[in-house]
Order: sequence, then C-alpha cells, then structure tokens
Amino acid sequence: MKSWDIFCQVVDNYGDIGVTWRLARQIATELHQPVRLFVDDLHTFHHICPQIDPQRNCQRLLGVDITHWHPDSTIDPSDIVIEAFGCNLSESIISSMLARAQPPIWINLEYLSAEPWIEECHLLPSPQRHGPAKYFFFPGFTARTGGLLRERDLLAERDRFIIEEKAEFLTNLGVEPAPGSSLISLFTYENPQISSWLDTLVAGEASIQLLVPPGRIQADIEHWLGEDKLVLGACYSRGSVVIHPIPFLSQRDYDRLLWSCDLNFVRGEDSFVRAQWAGKPFLWHIYEQDDEAHLQKLSAFLQLYRQQLDAASAKAMTQFWIDWNRRQDLSEGWTLFTRQRDSLESHAHVWCSKLSMQKSLVESLAEFTQN
Amino acid sequence: MKTAQDIKVNNVILIDGAPWIVQRAEYTKSGRNSAIMKMKLKNLLSGSTSETVYKFDDKMEQVILDQIDVTYSYKADDMYVFVDEEYNQYELSAEDIESVMPYIVDGMTDVCSAVFFEGKVISVDLPTTIVRQIDYTEASARGDTSGKVMKPARLANGTNVKVADFCEIGDWIEIDTRTGDYKSRAKAPA
Repeated sequence: MKSWDIFCQVVDNYGDIGVTWRLARQIATELHQPVRLFVDDLHTFHHICPQIDPQRNCQRLLGVDITHWHPDSTIDPSDIVIEAFGCNLSESIISSMLARAQPPIWINLEYLSAEPWIEECHLLPSPQRHGPAKYFFFPGFTARTGGLLRERDLLAERDRFIIEEKAEFLTNLGVEPAPGSSLISLFTYENPQISSWLDTLVAGEASIQLLVPPGRIQADIEHWLGEDKLVLGACYSRGSVVIHPIPFLSQRDYDRLLWSCDLNFVRGEDSFVRAQWAGKPFLWHIYEQDDEAHLQKLSAFLQLYRQQLDAASAKAMTQFWIDWNRRQDLSEGWTLFTRQRDSLESHAHVWCSKLSMQKSLVESLAEFTQN
Repeated sequence: MKTAQDIKVNNVILIDGAPWIVQRAEYTKSGRNSAIMKMKLKNLLSGSTSETVYKFDDKMEQVILDQIDVTYSYKADDMYVFVDEEYNQYELSAEDIESVMPYIVDGMTDVCSAVFFEGKVISVDLPTTIVRQIDYTEASARGDTSGKVMKPARLANGTNVKVADFCEIGDWIEIDTRTGDYKSRAKAPA
C-alpha cells in the first residue's frame, strides 16, 4: 500500500485548497491509502471546510491527516509526494526525499487547462539536479491528460439529490422557487458590467432568482441595488428578478447548489469543474492574468466544449463568455445566450456524460504511481 | 546557477552528475499555469535522449565543456580517430558520435570540435555547414532550376539527403548539420 503527501500553498481564494482537499479525500476514501495534506493556510481551509480548526497544527478529518505546513517544517516523506500547482518544496524536504532508500514518486500537479500543449507535457519527467525525478501531471479534458477530479459516485449522488432533497435544500437556504422561475447561482470575480446584465434581466419577462454566496462579485451587486450591504436571508426584488444572498457553502453544499440551479456562474478552477459535473449550462469567469494569458486558456476550453454544439449555440455561448470575461456590455450576449438555453442545457448534459467516461484524476494518478 | 528559462539550445546542464545537452527548448505560459520550459535533452555520456519539462524558475547547473579543434583522421577497428593540431589522437565510438556519423567520410577536412567532460573526450561536433559530394542521384526529371523541387541523393558514405532537382552526380553541396538539410550547390573544397 502506497502512502501519499500532498503539499498546498494557498495563493489566493479557495481553488488551491479546494482542489487539494478533494484530491486528498478521494485518495483516502477511494484508494484506501494513507494520505497527509500539508497546507500553509488553515484559515482559508476553514472557510470551505468548517470542521477544520485553524488553531490546530495537526488534525485528522475524513481519513486525511492534515498538517499546518510551515516553510521550515521537517517531514519524513511518503511514497508519493505531490506538490500542487508548482508550490516549491523546501531543500530540507527534498533532502529527506533523497535520503529515503526508495525515493518517492514526486509529482507536480499543475493547473487545469484545455490547451493542446497539455497533452504533450502530461507525465513528462523533470529530472532534477540531484534527483529524484519529478513528473508533471496535467489535469485535463481528454484521454491524453490526467482527467478531472470526480468522486466515484458523484453523478449518482447528484441524480438522487435532485429527486429527493433539492426542494428541502433550497428551503434551508431560504429560497422558495417560484413557478416558472429560473434559478441562477452566481459565484464569480468582480465585474462592474454585471449592471448591464442585471438591467437586461429586469427588462426581460422571464422570472429569475439569483442565488449569491459571499464573494468578490457581491460589491458590484450591492452597487447595482443601491444597498450598503447584502443581508443574508433577505430577498431583493427588482422587476422579475429576485436576488437571494445565501451563506458561504461547504464543498458538498456548493455542489448541491450547482445541481439545484438552471444556470451556474462559476470561477477559478474547482467550481469550474464542479459546474461541469452538474450537467447544467454555465459561465466560467476565468482567473485573470495581467498579460491576458487567461483569454487563450478560455478560448481553448471553448473550442473543445463547443465541438459538438450547433453553430448558433456555440456562437451565443462564446459571445456571452467572452463579453463577461472581457468585462464588456452583457445585454446582447445574454439575449443570444438565453435564446439557446435548451440546446445549451442538452449539450451540458452530453458533455458531462462524455467526461464521466474518462478516467478521473485520482484514477489516473493511481495508475501512474501504482504501476 | 541558472533558471530553466535562461537555458538555451546547445547549453549543457548537469543532472545527477551527467552532462545533458539541450537540443530543443520551448517556453509556454498560459492562464494560472506557471510558465514551463519543455526541453529535449541528450545525455552526452550515454547518448540517450529525453523529452522533459521544467518550471521556468527551476534551478539548473549549467556547465561549459572544454572543446578543442580536431580533424577526422581514420577509422581503426570500431573506433573513429580524430587528431588535434599537435597530433594528439582521440578515439571515439560510433555511438559517441552518433549525431555526426552520417557526415563522416574518409578524407574529410572539416575542422570539428572535440568535446570533453571531466578530462575525457565524449563527442565531436561538426561545423554548422559542411560540404559533401553527391555519389549518386537520378537525372533531373523536370528540368527545374528554381531549387524548390527536391529529389533524393546519396553521399559517398551512403547517407541519403534531399537535394535540389538540378543537382547531378559529382556535384558538391552544402549541408546544414543541425537539420541535415541541403542548403545549396557548392564549389569543390580546395
């Protein structure tokens, strides 16, 4: 039985810890192998997993040993060492790896991308000056990549939840879906142009309920509403649009939110993947880079996602996504997007099924490290 | 110590005590992915090659290898013998000089570089451009004079190259040793 160490440096937001926490849990529960998660920021971890005590250096949760990682920590490495997203391991940890009779399998888990070069670099070695060799592991959307994080029973759990628990879940959030109303979850980065979108929603005839967890878009919504601060549990009605501020959700409940809504606005990496497992139409607000490199990454995903989408839907989706990510006026893009909602919904379902046929990230990691 | 992004093609880096020459280096950056350098490396001791990938800021130990000018002298048994200006002889196996083997011919006068690692000769580099004679090629089929239409040709040592359609048996041609590509027709060496 192999043992695993995962190292996570929280750069900002919740993506780094979100992905590594999911990965650690899946190794523990699906591979039944010992796993330690070293995290440098337990406070951020606590936000997405309230059971984590930020004051405790070591704790165990759901089969994972969690340690507050300090730069000067000395660690006796496990059989497999994963440094997530290029976080640099200290010389002391590398020396400990070299000191083992059988050096660990050392993996650099990279960020997710749909760009074609990912396939060429996935699993390539990165021989180090004094060894052991490190391997680059790229998550992705095709069979020639490392796949996506997906719990073994995720889709079955999703389908069961929608039938049995969705209504109660929404009620507990303080949301009563009105007949004929569309539910939209909104968890994105800042975007002042959201006002053009909200104005368009209000001017339309469709009844919309917007579910907004705390996050970086909140200030823009407050500005549009003319409110100082969104109050949890309150409802803000403007025309046919109702805005529901909801609490920050655990990973499990955030999945349930995505499954409960008709359209999801997501950001970063973790929620982006989870939206695809929801099998619902979505918009991806990608993490922005100063040099606009993110637009290339966005375009690569769109190119892959829309391959089997009809031309009108592909065009509508592309325009709305690009307009949102470029912070341009959203009224025209939204109008086109909503016209294609049926087609986009059916495609989201097909896309989800297609992805679920591929090996999950944990299955790919297991295959690589156990053979 | 250099970082991966500073390493260029033909630089030599030390990995676990062995010298590796960089045959290809490509920089890639996108989204939140850290920039990476994809490199093709060749182990100068074993001759093995490897596709690799590095973070742009990975530290690398570059080494400058000693080199001296030599010329090819003769083949004895399975060894290829090169001599320097002082008539010191250096023996290399076909494996050591695998990349230049297609251009080794008796009587060649090219000034080559013998490469040393820890005092031992490990390989030989040819000049970027060399001149060789066509031993055989078919006659021009189309009478093309532009140099854009290519045809197969064979050098005296059996190496096959693509040459311009107007080249004939006995012609001397320039070859780029980095790519193996025909460059132009040339004058016979003096």
